[in-house]
Amino acid sequence: MTGHALQVKDLRVSYGPKRAVDGVSLDINEGEIFGLLGPNGAGKTSTLSAIEGLLKPTSGSILIRQVDVRAHPGLAKALIGVQLQSTSFQSELKIREIVRLYAGLYGVPLTKSAIFGRLTEIHLGDEASRRFSQLSGGQQKRLSLLIATVHDPPLVLLDEPTSGLDPQARRQLWDRIAGIRKSGRSILLTTHSMEEAQSVCDRVAIMDYGKILTVDTPAGLIEKHKNDPNVLAVARGQVTLEDVFIGLTGRELRE
Amino acid sequence: MSSVSEPSAVRTPSVSPPLRAPALTEIFRALLEADFTVQLRNNRALLLSFALPLVLLYGLFAGKRGLALGDPQFRVASALTLGMASIAILGYAMTVARDREKGVFQRLRVTPAPTWTIMTSRLLVQVAAILAMALVLLVAADLFEGVSLTAEAYLLTLIGVIFSSALFLSVGQALAGLVKSADTLNAVGRIAYLPLFAVGLFGQSTIFGTTFELISRWSPGGTVETLLSGAMNPSSWNSDTWLAVAVSTAYSVVFAGIGIRWFQWGAR
Repeated sequence: MTGHALQVKDLRVSYGPKRAVDGVSLDINEGEIFGLLGPNGAGKTSTLSAIEGLLKPTSGSILIRQVDVRAHPGLAKALIGVQLQSTSFQSELKIREIVRLYAGLYGVPLTKSAIFGRLTEIHLGDEASRRFSQLSGGQQKRLSLLIATVHDPPLVLLDEPTSGLDPQARRQLWDRIAGIRKSGRSILLTTHSMEEAQSVCDRVAIMDYGKILTVDTPAGLIEKHKNDPNVLAVARGQVTLEDVFIGLTGRELRE
Repeated sequence: MSSVSEPSAVRTPSVSPPLRAPALTEIFRALLEADFTVQLRNNRALLLSFALPLVLLYGLFAGKRGLALGDPQFRVASALTLGMASIAILGYAMTVARDREKGVFQRLRVTPAPTWTIMTSRLLVQVAAILAMALVLLVAADLFEGVSLTAEAYLLTLIGVIFSSALFLSVGQALAGLVKSADTLNAVGRIAYLPLFAVGLFGQSTIFGTTFELISRWSPGGTVETLLSGAMNPSSWNSDTWLAVAVSTAYSVVFAGIGIRWFQWGAR
């Protein structure tokens, strides 16, 4: 039996009187890709931010490989790699310097040739002396993913990793995400794309109003909810994951 | 309570996780290297923080009007004060506000680097920039204006510069804490020059009356000018200079308190 890469128990996060995360519990297994789906404002990013240590939870516990995030924040952060929803780096730094900075922050000394090697692996070897802002959207996402995994963390957190990418760049990034999993790491990602959830996630949770509504494999979710009247009401033909999502979270627009 | 627990994809992990949080020395080395690089590539801030005080130094010694403002040491101290104010506002507060807006801090905060190391590294780089500016200015004052200092006075002045930099950097921190937007901070920072620096120029002059002289002398800029002119001429160090040390400390504590209390790492 393998252990859990991440254990979240009864997590609550509030912004003043507003409760953004309301009693979320989830376990992510070693080597698993877990997707968190939900409309805007559902609490996905707040859940991730609490795990990353950017937000202080009101209550609940977060264990990363049995390390308590609140008791040992430095060690817990060394065990995770993070790609934020919108990432930016110091505009004066070249991308090879950015890689060197973040490797250094994890205590991973990288030589010039090692940095060049890592950049070449993601087809950015020729761009090593350019600035982050000079890269295309796809290149920026690849660099962000490289930096998130520069220290070979056992758990990688990706907040909408493919948003804003064209189909080619998106497919490439899915391959890289699959490659991360192949090396034995676990991934928790948030996404609005049902296609992405079905293509890369082993398990998916649908979240709304700060709570997890349901969780299973993508196929399991369809099977579990295909006869739900709310799902059938929105289905156009065969029930899809998107039908399940809309059926459970409603049709109204979220800002 | 919603719960997830059933595994469906179990694989054998092949990754060896880091067994320790990185040491503070490793974190500081990485941060300082990056922050120094950023500082050296920030051409606009570099130019302003070195050129502005040199231009003022020239202006204060070029005509007879400069004589009315105070003795030569006071005028050199005024140029030093302008340099410190420029570095603290343009080099520190502006960069902090810009990086916060772009999400640079949030990216750094998800690493094992404790938050205080992120700010301390930036502050150390600014103190180094202030020291470099002070050395250039003191050499220029000696070569071109004939204001030469003894070795003791040089040392005391540089210690005074480090001490005074705390005041201006804490003002920069307070500005970055109170003003969220980088654009607004740019505008507010320019206005802040007036009470921070310009008012202090008249700390040894009664051109605008004795009441204004008193306000000027104990404004942030005037306090630092009194302190530094005392350091440049150790034989003239008196109770006013000691009072300037005390007032400067009080300003630093108050502004740092405001800056820390209201500072936000993210733009939202």
